Amino acid sequence: MRLLVIGDDATLRETLTQKLAEVGFAVEQAADGTEGLYLAQEYPIDLAIIDLGLPGMSGLDIIRQVRADGKTYPILILTARDRWEDKVDGLSAGADDYVVKPFHFEEVSARVNALLRRSGGWASSQLEAGPVLLDMTRQELKVSDQEIELTSFEYKIIEYLMVRAGQVISKAELTDRLYDQDFERDSNVIEVFIGRLRKKMDPDNSIKPIETLRGRGYRFALERKQSG
Amino acid sequence: MYSLSSRLLISVSVLLLLFFGATVAVLNTAFTEAGEQARRDILDGHLIALLAAAEPDDDAELALPERLREPRFGQIGSGLYGELRNAEGTVIWRSKSALGLRIPEGLDPEIGNQLFAREALTDGTPLLTLSLAVDWEFDDGESKSYIFKVAESLDSFNAQIAGYRGKLFGWFAAVAATMLLAFSFLLRGLMKPLRKIESEIGEIEGGARVSLSDQFPAELIGVARNMNLLIDSERARSDRYRLTLDNLAHSLKTPLAAMRALLGDRNNEQFGERFDEQIDRMDEIVRYQLRKPANSVADKLVLQSVHVEKEVTRLIDGLKKVYHDKSPEFEVSVDSGMQFRGDTGDFLELAGNLLDNACKWCEKRVRISVVPSVGAQAIASGMVLSVSDDGPGIPEDAAAALLQRGMRLDEATPGHGIGLAVVKDIARSYGGQLSIQESKLGGAEITVSIPPLTSAKSD
Repeated sequence: MRLLVIGDDATLRETLTQKLAEVGFAVEQAADGTEGLYLAQEYPIDLAIIDLGLPGMSGLDIIRQVRADGKTYPILILTARDRWEDKVDGLSAGADDYVVKPFHFEEVSARVNALLRRSGGWASSQLEAGPVLLDMTRQELKVSDQEIELTSFEYKIIEYLMVRAGQVISKAELTDRLYDQDFERDSNVIEVFIGRLRKKMDPDNSIKPIETLRGRGYRFALERKQSG
Repeated sequence: MYSLSSRLLISVSVLLLLFFGATVAVLNTAFTEAGEQARRDILDGHLIALLAAAEPDDDAELALPERLREPRFGQIGSGLYGELRNAEGTVIWRSKSALGLRIPEGLDPEIGNQLFAREALTDGTPLLTLSLAVDWEFDDGESKSYIFKVAESLDSFNAQIAGYRGKLFGWFAAVAATMLLAFSFLLRGLMKPLRKIESEIGEIEGGARVSLSDQFPAELIGVARNMNLLIDSERARSDRYRLTLDNLAHSLKTPLAAMRALLGDRNNEQFGERFDEQIDRMDEIVRYQLRKPANSVADKLVLQSVHVEKEVTRLIDGLKKVYHDKSPEFEVSVDSGMQFRGDTGDFLELAGNLLDNACKWCEKRVRISVVPSVGAQAIASGMVLSVSDDGPGIPEDAAAALLQRGMRLDEATPGHGIGLAVVKDIARSYGGQLSIQESKLGGAEITVSIPPLTSAKSD
């Protein structure tokens, strides 16, 4: 998943970026409103975290602009202003949730995960489809109640596919959203990881969780089990 | 330039000028006309005297005696002249006074008529002349035409008019100046209370005075009273800000001290956790102080109208996003068009905190109702805002504790009830109160009642 962090405080922004990268996100960052708006409009992004008080262009204006452009990815606001007046302004401008400063990283991470799965149509952080269960909070994958050991990159891929269960995801999109920019870009790598995932999740090839659509990409093929 | 007194003075001066100008013009015309009429009558008298004095002489011509009754005809240059001409225009007689002068011939009237005219001597002296043409029937039955003409110099008359005009202008100018002077003194007197207000405000700014005195004319009493209200509320507000700032600064000192103490013990394995605890504490303090009410009900002057339905809708739209996973069902009962007189931020804080708590605790259902409360003599209705949910509810003793809390920061437990404490503070600042009951939905029902606003003049 590729996130965008827009915030003017360097310490806050960089720490957040670093910690988000540690839990497996590819993260873009922007220090002011103008650059932030550019990235928010032009980059392939799954979610944006926007600080409201920004130099160049206010966070609220960025949100309005992005929404006016028809972008639908979730937006999380970081704000020091926690009067309801300010929260309501942000939410009605088009943001989906807010975190009030000073925050714990865990809170931001939890909200980001919640927004991401929500944008994929999941109601809980336990993504369940057939015998497969993905716990986004604990970053665990279980198949038929058996925990599967995954590398962080494998986890990223299955999470991305499962959040968008039923959608066709191209290899290019996977590369875009999962690699950091300086990472080696070789489409073979994706194929190799998909192969490994299949082997780990479905050793006897009976449940077929990941479907390959030739020339188009991959799809998580199991039927979602919606809880609640 | 835009001073009231100069405006008044200018308008009054213009009015006086118009009024006196018209009066002077009318008086002048009337006087001149009357004077001229008198001149004509006199001239007429002289002509008749000449006519009476004329006698036929031996040569069957008219002649006038050497000495006439009017001595001015006999004095050279007296300004009154007489002349008798025959039909051919030949001068038969000319008064002694006209010696060396040439009386202009002018137009001759028809026989039997007289004609007034303004003419002038060769040296430019203006004359008023009266000519009369007559047919004189002599004793022998023959008749001849003659023209009698009298003329009077207008020099003295014009001088008289000019003198009169000068006096007229002089008097009126004097009267106008006196009136303007009197008026500007009057104005100074009238403006005095305004200057007094100004100087009293100056004294308030300088700290020499606390409020405006009540020694003002009836027209200004209201202004002074409202000004005092404003000053009081401004002062109360700045006191409140100072107090808030003071509270904030002091209450931050304790966690700061704790953090410094912790630093000395930084190798302790619980260091991070305990340090974080202090940060949380500071955060709670700052949040609580920042979210305190914007105004007190004393600041009635700054209250606006809040469109209740619109704000509640905005809040619920926002909360639906935040509680997307839970998707509570909102039941809203608000009169469309209902207004709450107060600060929008305060209203959002009241409804926002209560709705947020309800969403947090509910199973599925959240209900909000806002009803206006009306009172006699109220200038704006109050409201009863109540929010209920179908959650576990709040036990009675806990409710009492929640209502107690939040009055002093030191007593507020971090992480709990800050929202409710803020709601209570805001309700109190509007003279209202907070109560907690059991909801029909099964959970808690929290009600904020804000009384109607009475007129600011009631004190």
